[in-house]
Amino acid sequence: MHIAIIGNSAAGLTAARTIRKIKPSAGITVISDESGPAYARCLIPEILAGVRDIPGIGYATQQFYQDYDINLRSGIKVSSINAVNHKLKLEGGQVIKYDRLLVATGASPVQPGWPGSDLPSVFTLRTASQAVMIRKMAIDCASAVVEGGGLVSLKAAYALKKRGVKDVAVIVRSPHILMKQLDRDSAGLVENDLTSVGIKFYYGTGLAAAIQGPRGELQSVELEDGRQLPAGLVVIGKGVQPNSELIRNAGGKINRGILVNEYLETSLPGIYAAGDCIEVTDSVTGAQVVSGLWTLAVEQGRIAGCNLAGQARKYPPPLTRLNSAQFGSVPFVSVGDVQGGDELAVYQGAGVYRKLCFRDNRLTGFIMAGLVDRAGVYTSLVKQAKKLSAPLKDRLINGKVTGADILPILTRQGGIQ
Amino acid sequence: MKEVLINAERCLGCRSCEIACAVAHSDSKNLLGAVGETDIPIKRIFVHQAGKRNIALSCRHCEEAPCIDACIAGAMHRTADGLVDNTGGTGECSGCWMCVMVCPYGVIRSEIDRRLALKCDRKCMDESAEPACVRACPTRALKFVVVDEFSRDRRQRFLDAIGNESV
Repeated sequence: MHIAIIGNSAAGLTAARTIRKIKPSAGITVISDESGPAYARCLIPEILAGVRDIPGIGYATQQFYQDYDINLRSGIKVSSINAVNHKLKLEGGQVIKYDRLLVATGASPVQPGWPGSDLPSVFTLRTASQAVMIRKMAIDCASAVVEGGGLVSLKAAYALKKRGVKDVAVIVRSPHILMKQLDRDSAGLVENDLTSVGIKFYYGTGLAAAIQGPRGELQSVELEDGRQLPAGLVVIGKGVQPNSELIRNAGGKINRGILVNEYLETSLPGIYAAGDCIEVTDSVTGAQVVSGLWTLAVEQGRIAGCNLAGQARKYPPPLTRLNSAQFGSVPFVSVGDVQGGDELAVYQGAGVYRKLCFRDNRLTGFIMAGLVDRAGVYTSLVKQAKKLSAPLKDRLINGKVTGADILPILTRQGGIQ
Repeated sequence: MKEVLINAERCLGCRSCEIACAVAHSDSKNLLGAVGETDIPIKRIFVHQAGKRNIALSCRHCEEAPCIDACIAGAMHRTADGLVDNTGGTGECSGCWMCVMVCPYGVIRSEIDRRLALKCDRKCMDESAEPACVRACPTRALKFVVVDEFSRDRRQRFLDAIGNESV
């Protein structure tokens, strides 16, 4: 049995590890267009900041692949899948035969389309090698502009500042940063955390064009409202889109991302998909969304790994909003549907913010900023989506809930002891 | 694998386990020394009230640990001894709080200033091969035992009984 895996990040690597545990004799080949062993993609801003190098954000060592007897083909792109003959064609022409296949191709940044966005000093930030390039360029840079108010953009802006870039401006089209994760008040706390280190914010506009200097180099950017900002480099964070072309070209079904059944199998028999490239159903909202979280990719990698190795395992609809981060001194967590709900409970104290969203007496989402301890208890209740008793709801609202309050529920679930 | 189990009927809520845990994670390893240390030693077990009972909670070292899945740094991992730990793994904890966000027991601490998640690491065992919290428990409410299926069921029945009171 030969199992091929396209992708060497959270989903691909976890699947490989899982398969090896279940099927010691299976042949496993992992193919990735990135070079080297797997790294922690979410930490690439630390490379940009100059705090760590690529080995410093390693997620697996070279030794791991040997220990697990995984044939790693890194730095090679798969150009096509032949689903009928069970063959992969690599760029350069080599053909790899597989019995089962996992597509864990991830996602790619949305590319900007404004004039000058193709200049070499305009970047997106998705790979470690991009982070290395931006870090090099940032050394001689007095000013940088970051477009987007999401996590990647803000992490990039904070990293550029840490790297020593004097003027860092963030351009946000929305009324506040982190629109998907936070509300106005909590976003304000996080924004203060970023402005306190000197990052400037420009709201309600976007980038319109790059303005070049006499030697063709990037000198400044023009905003849609006509203002100009000096910029030696630009980082664009306008979201990502699933890498689903291989499955599309092989005849598989695609919607926003690759469509999979509850076993994470694509419409092509024997071909599974996991991670940022697939579409999933959000457990809270029921919406079809692109899966785009490291955590979910690991989870899916494990489930897909079981199925690839012949142990049938279902993947229930996941909670697709699960974010936590800290830039300077303000930690924050955002889980579930933080916009909807028929009842809100907000607590605001000195530097601390907590918002709970209920629907029909169930906890459907929450935001915590400033303090995040025991956030997991809340997350667990969002996942369970059970009606809350009045005392438990009170403890939630007062911020007093602990793991002890939900122990009986936890021990009833499989997997968690 | 041995687990720390709590018998809530015996727990007085005296917090001896919390103190013992903090001391065991101090530099000096004794109470007097520990309280004098610049970085105050930090407990990784928490005595909570659930209904009318007290329950001491620390990391359960889950079989499919959500914190390992969630760790974006590759720091949280399963050790060779089967424990869940965020030190000594492939990556280094970066204080992103993903583990804090997904631990259903709420037993991973966020040390915001140190950018470090802290949890039960069992680096508190002495010659008796029992964790500090278990050694310190005056009523033997905390036990360090191998859990078989039978006691798992019994524990579940007990927890269900608490559940009727509190949840």
